[in-house]
Amino acid sequence: MADTTASPLIRVENLRKSFGSHLVLKDIDFAVNSGEVVTIIGASGSGKSTLLRCMNLLETPDSGHIWFHGEDLAADRVNINRLREKIGMVFQSFNLFNNKNVLDNCTLAPVTLKKMSKAEAEEVARKNLKAVGLSDFINAPATSLSGGQKQRVAIARALCMKPDLMLFDEPTSALDPEIVGEVLNVMRDLASEGMTMVVVTHEMAFAKNVSDKVVFMDQGVIAEQGDPQKMFTNPELPRTREFLARYLED
Amino acid sequence: MSRLSKIKSFVTDDHRYVFLGTSFVAAIGIWFSMQKRPAMSFLRGAYAFEVVLYWFLMAWLAVSAVALVWKLTHWRGDAYQRTAPFTKPLAKTIERWASYGVVLATLILFVDRAVMGFLSIVSVSLAQDKNPSDFMSSIVYMLDKSYGIIGQGILTTVCLSVFGTLIAFVLAILLVFLRIQEIDRSDNDAVRFFKTLGCEFAKVYSTVVRGTPMMVQGMLIYFAGFGLLKNTGMTVGEIGRIWSTFVAGLVTISLNSTAYMMEVLRGGIEAVDPGQNEAARSLGLSQWQAMIKVVFPQGIKNAIPALSNELVVNIKDSSVLSVIGVFDLMFATKTVVGIYFKQVELYVVACLCYLCLTMVASWLLGKFAKHLSVEPAPLTSVSDMNATVGTVAGTGSSEYSLDAKKNAR
Repeated sequence: MADTTASPLIRVENLRKSFGSHLVLKDIDFAVNSGEVVTIIGASGSGKSTLLRCMNLLETPDSGHIWFHGEDLAADRVNINRLREKIGMVFQSFNLFNNKNVLDNCTLAPVTLKKMSKAEAEEVARKNLKAVGLSDFINAPATSLSGGQKQRVAIARALCMKPDLMLFDEPTSALDPEIVGEVLNVMRDLASEGMTMVVVTHEMAFAKNVSDKVVFMDQGVIAEQGDPQKMFTNPELPRTREFLARYLED
Repeated sequence: MSRLSKIKSFVTDDHRYVFLGTSFVAAIGIWFSMQKRPAMSFLRGAYAFEVVLYWFLMAWLAVSAVALVWKLTHWRGDAYQRTAPFTKPLAKTIERWASYGVVLATLILFVDRAVMGFLSIVSVSLAQDKNPSDFMSSIVYMLDKSYGIIGQGILTTVCLSVFGTLIAFVLAILLVFLRIQEIDRSDNDAVRFFKTLGCEFAKVYSTVVRGTPMMVQGMLIYFAGFGLLKNTGMTVGEIGRIWSTFVAGLVTISLNSTAYMMEVLRGGIEAVDPGQNEAARSLGLSQWQAMIKVVFPQGIKNAIPALSNELVVNIKDSSVLSVIGVFDLMFATKTVVGIYFKQVELYVVACLCYLCLTMVASWLLGKFAKHLSVEPAPLTSVSDMNATVGTVAGTGSSEYSLDAKKNAR
């Protein structure tokens, strides 16, 4: 760890996770550099979401290391709350705070954790809500929004903490096909601004066109990873080819 | 608004029920007119008028019977509509006005027989100097003589249950905090120890309190408190001043209700989508902050209907505290029974009092719950929601606004 600029932003080492007797992640090694957009693809049950949730400790790994800002997230009794402030997370089911309106959803964490004044936090929130195209909804209750709007608020909420890394856990899987685009556009903008992102997705076009690296997971291991163009046109493994073929058929 | 307008349209517009409904009313009116006139009857001197009412109602019954037969013999399709004389526009108007007349006649007879009858009983029994043997008269007589005792009992019951429930609510919130604590990764050993201790305490408390009868708990608390104070060297009189049966009863009902309310709150909190907590934690909020700011407000809101039920339960269950001598409604009733020895009459009165209290309580709590679940934040631009975002959001928005309405209800 001598040269911090060259080292990856987050590095996963020998990560192992099981639910009961079922081993979900088998010694995963993988790293994300600053400014990189990594998409994780794979069949359902291959462990992609679990890997992502391990990266901010929503799932506790059995063993292994997750290096982030020189600290091991997976170490016992590390102050995970402080590190999570730097890692934004977007969920499949949005998980907006149902008891709050859009603006309060965005300002809750900055006001509570960053000791920002309410006005300051609101200014940041307004800026981020404008970026996702929801300026008109700042006072709307979270429960009144459509799925696409909710997901965009969720992205803005995560951005309000000014994270170094954004994790997306199938952000468009719960949306109607025609609404998927509005969320993907926001993510595309975010990627072009240089945000480091790890995206678990089934949107193959997004994986191919936006990401810098594609990770294909199969049965708890990273089967193949690399450049998206190469992965989609000429994958090494027959398993990868098989998986992608099924998507490209549609 | 809706209920009133429904009744109004039923009376003025709906002709299907004119005969069926009002002939039933007419039958009741006829039954009243056949009852003995009470002492205070105002129709006593107007015999001719009552005969007119009686035959009017009888005539209505006859017309209704003809209409019914007609309907039965012209069942198919719209045969009744076409053939019956009752469906002509003029006939309909007359029938409607006649149906009002039927209701009015029945009302007059009801007031004359039932209301004036009750008032006669009251006026007669109030003048008595001995408990009358008649059921109603006896109740009126005893209530007149001992409303102070019963009133005090009602007041005590209300105080016990209302304050007991409020105290229990506060205690239950504290206790459920302990109950739902989970060990977090960043906790040090001391925090882990106290979390485990608190959780176990809450579990044991809930099991013990919910597993023993409140009557026994009341006895135990009252006599234990009494014994403790006695050991400090106080006299019985001094103890009675600070550890009265009311205070002991209030403590019992609070501690008892705490356990039940804690379980209700826990249910409400556990019903909150775990994603809410995950989202809060993923932003960096600690377990405590996520609990206070996100999960708890939603959990308590979930629990409000069941929590308010606890007040109704306490109104009823406070009656067992009469065993330690709390002067509640039950104890007051027993006292009055001791004076007059009229058990059935007085326990019927007690029943009605409890019923009124619980009905009023649940009505008020229903209003309160409705008031709380109204969405507080104004929706700024629902109407132009689709306009600004474009057609893409259209389908989803309608789906989710439906959800919001469901929540608001």
